[in-house]
This record gives sequence, C-alpha cells and structure tokens, in this order.
Amino acid sequence: MIRLENVSYAIESRELVSGVSLRVGAGEFAALAGENGAGKTTLLKLVMGLIKPTGGDILVGGASTRGLRVSVMARTVGYLFQNPDRQLFGATVRQELAFGLDFLGVAKDEADRRVGETLDLLKLDPDRAPTSLSRGERQRVALASLFVRRPRILLLDEPTTGLDYRECVQMMETVSRLNREDGVTVLMVTHDMEVALDFAPRMLALSGGKLLADGPTRGLMRDEALLKRASLVPAQMVALARRLGIAPGEADDALSLAAWVERRAGVNAKGGMPDAGRP
Amino acid sequence: MDSLILLEGVSFRYEGAGSRALDDVRLSIAPGEFVGVIGPAGAGKTTLAHTLSGVVPHVRRGDFYGSARVAGLDTVTASVVELSKTVGCVFQDVESQFVTTMVEDEVLFALENFDVPRDEIPARVDRALADLNITDLRSRGISTLSGGQKQKVALAAALALAPSALVLDEATGELDPASSVQVFGLLSQLRRERGTTIIVIEQKIMLLCAYADRLLVMDQGRVVIDGPVRRTLEQPDRLLSLGVNCPRVTTLAARLREKELYHGPPPINLDEAETMVREAMA
Ligand SMILES: Nc1ncnc2c1ncn2[C@@H]1O[C@H](COP(=O)(O)OP(=O)(O)OP(=O)(O)O)[C@@H](O)[C@H]1O
Ligand SMILES: Nc1ncnc2c1ncn2[C@@H]1O[C@H](COP(=O)(O)OP(=O)(O)OP(=O)(O)O)[C@@H](O)[C@H]1O
Ligand SMILES: [Mg+2]
Ligand SMILES: [Mg+2]
Repeated sequence: MIRLENVSYAIESRELVSGVSLRVGAGEFAALAGENGAGKTTLLKLVMGLIKPTGGDILVGGASTRGLRVSVMARTVGYLFQNPDRQLFGATVRQELAFGLDFLGVAKDEADRRVGETLDLLKLDPDRAPTSLSRGERQRVALASLFVRRPRILLLDEPTTGLDYRECVQMMETVSRLNREDGVTVLMVTHDMEVALDFAPRMLALSGGKLLADGPTRGLMRDEALLKRASLVPAQMVALARRLGIAPGEADDALSLAAWVERRAGVNAKGGMPDAGRP
Repeated sequence: MDSLILLEGVSFRYEGAGSRALDDVRLSIAPGEFVGVIGPAGAGKTTLAHTLSGVVPHVRRGDFYGSARVAGLDTVTASVVELSKTVGCVFQDVESQFVTTMVEDEVLFALENFDVPRDEIPARVDRALADLNITDLRSRGISTLSGGQKQKVALAAALALAPSALVLDEATGELDPASSVQVFGLLSQLRRERGTTIIVIEQKIMLLCAYADRLLVMDQGRVVIDGPVRRTLEQPDRLLSLGVNCPRVTTLAARLREKELYHGPPPINLDEAETMVREAMA
C-alpha cells in the first residue's frame, strides 16, 4: 500500500530524510515516533506527495507520488496536519465537514447523511466558526473532516495533541475501528507512548532523518538504547515491567501487571516454589 | 502566606458567545507553588491562562466579572505589558506568539524589552538555548523549524526571563517524550532555585502527578476539584467522569487493591509504584 524505497529529502544542502526504506501494508496500523526534528512530519508530507523526494521513490497504492497530484491523492488519503489550523477553512463546523465531499463526487443526500452522523459524534454546535473553538475542539473538527471523506489511508500527524483523555480515547477508537473493520491503513506520528502502545501494533522509530528501528511497539519500548537515541520514554507500565525484571511482552498494561503480581504473591506465600500456582 | 495570584468570582463570556468560558472562578495561588491544571477541551483552561496574562479581557474581548490580581496588579486595570513582567506565558498556539523571525532574536527580544541588565543578556540567551537543547538552532529562521522545535523556542524565551510566575498552556504538547520530562525538570529547578510559581495546563497527567503539588480540574468554566495531587487521585471515578484519566500506576494500585494485595495510598510515580509492587509480592 505504502512503499518507500531508499527515500531522501534535502532542502538546500540539508538532508532532512536520509535513505529511508519501508513498507506499510494495506490495513496496517503503524506509529511513527522520534525526537523533535527527526523528520516525522517531512516523511508524512512525502508520503502524501505534498513534497517530492530528492532521492529514491515512494509508491502509494502502486503509483509513484512523483507523478501524482495532491488533489488526486486526497480522494483516497486523509492527511491531518500537525497544526489543525492549517486545514480549517470553513465558516462553520458544518461547512468544514461538508467541504470537499462535493468535489469528491459524493451525492448530496449521502453527503448530508455523513455530515449529520459525524456532527452527532462531534457534539459541537454545527453553526459555530472553527476559529472560535478551543484548541482541542478544533483538533476534533479537523479529524472529523477526514472521517467524512472515508479515506483508505490515514496519515495523522500527532492526532491526539490537545485532546483530553476521554476525547483522545474516543478519537483513537474511531481510528482503530476504521482500521479493523474497514481495513483503513493508518500511519500516525505520535509522541504519546501510551497511545502508541494501546493502538499501534507496529512502531517506526526515526532519528536524524534515518529509520532507526521498525518492529512491534511492545518490543521497541523495551529497547533501552533505541529509546535513548530517539528521545523516547516508554509507556508507564512498560517502564515498570522493566524495573521489575518482567520479560518483554509478558505484562505491559495495568491489568496484566496486576495479574502478574497476584501470581507472584501467591508463589511467595507458598514458600517461593518457583512454579507453584501457575497453570 | 499572601497569594501571588488571587481570583475572586471571576466570570468571562467571549463577545458573541452563548455561555461563559469562566464561571465564578475562585482561586488563590501562593508564591512558589507548582500547580497543574487539567480538564476537558473547552473547560476554560486557556481562558484562565489568558486572564492571568491580561489577554482576557484586554485583547480577547467580552464581559468580565469579578476580580483577578496577580502580584498585586489588577488584571483589568494593569496593561498586558505590565503583567508580562511578572507572568511569563507560553500559549498553546505557539505560532501566533512569536514576535521575531529568528530563533536567537526571539529569546533576545524578550530580554531586551524587560529591563534585564545589558551585560547579563548574552549569558541568559546561551543558558536558555542550552537548557532546551536548541543551541544548534540559534541562527535558524523560526518558520523553518519543526512543531516541537518551535515550542522549544517559545519555552526558551519564557524561561530566559525568569519571571515570578510561569504559565504554560499545553506548551509541551508537541515535544518528544524525553524533552517533555526535561522541561518539567527545568520547571522544578526554577521553583527550587528562584521560588518561581509554576502553573501548567497539561493533558499529560503522569507528568503533572510526578511534578506538581496541587491539581486543579476544570470543567465548564469552573474549577471543580482543587487539592493536593495525591488526594485528587483518590477519586479516580470522579476524575474519569470529567474526562481525566489517572496515571497508569494509580490504575494498577486500584487493581491490586481489588485483589486485596495493596492497602496504601495511590502511587504517583514509578518509584512509588515499584515499592508498592514489591510490597504486594512480599
Ligand atoms: N525549510 C527548512 N529549512 C531547513 N530545515 C528545515 C526546513 N524545514 C524543516 N527543516 C528541519 O527538518 C527537520 C525535520 O523537520 P520535521 O518537521 O520533519 O520534524 P518532526 O520529526 O516532525 O519534528 P516534531 O516532532 O518537532 O514535529 C527539523 O530539524 C527541521 O528544523
Ligand atoms: N474567541 C472565542 N469566541 C467565543 N468562544 C470562545 C472563544 N475562545 C474560546 N471560546 C469558548 O470558550 C470555552 C473555553 O475555551 P478555552 O479555550 O478556554 O478552553 P480550554 O479548556 O483551553 O480547551 P482546550 O483543552 O481545547 O484547549 C469553550 O467553550 C470555547 O469554545
Ligand atoms: Mg512534526
Ligand atoms: Mg486551551
């Protein structure tokens, strides 16, 4: 679905992305993490075709982004900017959602239905001007305006910034459902390691424009050397599991950690028999 | 102790808005406190920060009721410039905050305009850039920076001034995880060394709990919970109903309590969580 072959991107003589090769298959959900300035946004813009690589090639759905117009990409790819204000143009929330559906060739009554459904989900006054909304509210409108277009690929640049916990979970569950049920491919930049752990099975770690690691999120969060190089801090339960010497992947959320403690407590109460109480 | 910040019955309605963004807010913050503010989108957190900086009601217009005093200044009669000498702010919309186009100029501008002795300025600029690990961005144009890099520049400019109070409105939202931790460390250090009053609006509950001593939860324009962090965490269900989650270590404590493996207070950081687990297993 998304294929990068030895992709580089340079501005003047500065290389912002260097020799990145990766594939994200249809229906995958991958997180992209790394330090500020690592090149995450640049990489996402490259995939969207907003900028073209200065080396290598990017294929989206089999076609090179070099020859693709962004307006054509936008038919199948939903892109969320790091700053939601970059993409809010409508005079009202309703207009913001309807914007573009027309251009995509969606029939009027179908468009109305989708906008209505999404407005219910959004719980915001449809007649308010996006500019008068709080930051989190604007972020939700920007995300919702992608969902109404039913994209096949979502490229999300820090989608949960500015959202409170409840909204963050709600948004991520919507994305996750699109991914699981409709097979939408998701590539999501995030600094929130809890979100990455909870929702993205795969993580790509970028640092200084290079791809440092690509693997299961749970595993990478236990890679101390990698975390340090990419300025990452593991999710809290993963960090605790490491301190307790629990093997990677064995217990990395509150529920499974509590169960692990319970087993251990049982073992200790029985006089430290190594496997007592275990199935 | 005398309060540095005192809000009495503050309400505010933006021009043209139907409801109040702040609704009868009463709040007293003593010098040197480290206060975390959390709450759902639209709760009024940014409006509260704007009230402390004077942006509300001087720049963002609307109906203002009640009284807000910061370091003895009445925010309605004092000018935004006067207030900014006491309260340093970093706002959510970082782009709209820059007054220059180059990284170094941005930090310099603040210092040059706030009666900082000339001979101290270069060292303060160096220190602020180094504190945020952006020395290498010094001569870059701000518009070419990444989102997180821009936030670091805004933070450097605010920290360089060393004001009596610092208000950060989701100012670490786009920072990488290690940098967020580092910024909270810098804030703690400022508080310890200079007695700076710190007010951080944040959604990162784990960092708030690990660093702040007091937590305010806002909802629909009101401060609905105000107390020491640990006590606030003792009501996880109430927090959740306000859209706020407890740190995962606190959730773990609740699970262990259900299993009757733990009976103590909720841990608020990793060290405490580790101790809790080791005790539960013993
Ligand atoms: N026009 C430009 N000229 C020079 N350098 C640039 C330009 N645009 C971006 N950069 C640099 O490219 C690097 C990558 O930027 P990018 O926005 O991709 O980072 P990022 O990983 O998304 O960071 P963040 O987490 O802060 O959003 C940064 O160091 C940035 O300063
Ligand atoms: N300029 C404005 N005009 C009208 N209403 C506004 C304006 N700015 C904010 N509001 C409204 O005031 C309320 C409080 O907004 P505020 O920005 O203070 O919330 P917040 O707690 O900071 O939210 P967030 O977490 O999303 O940043 C919201 O209902 C918002 O929609
Ligand atoms: Mg970015
Ligand atoms: Mg806000």
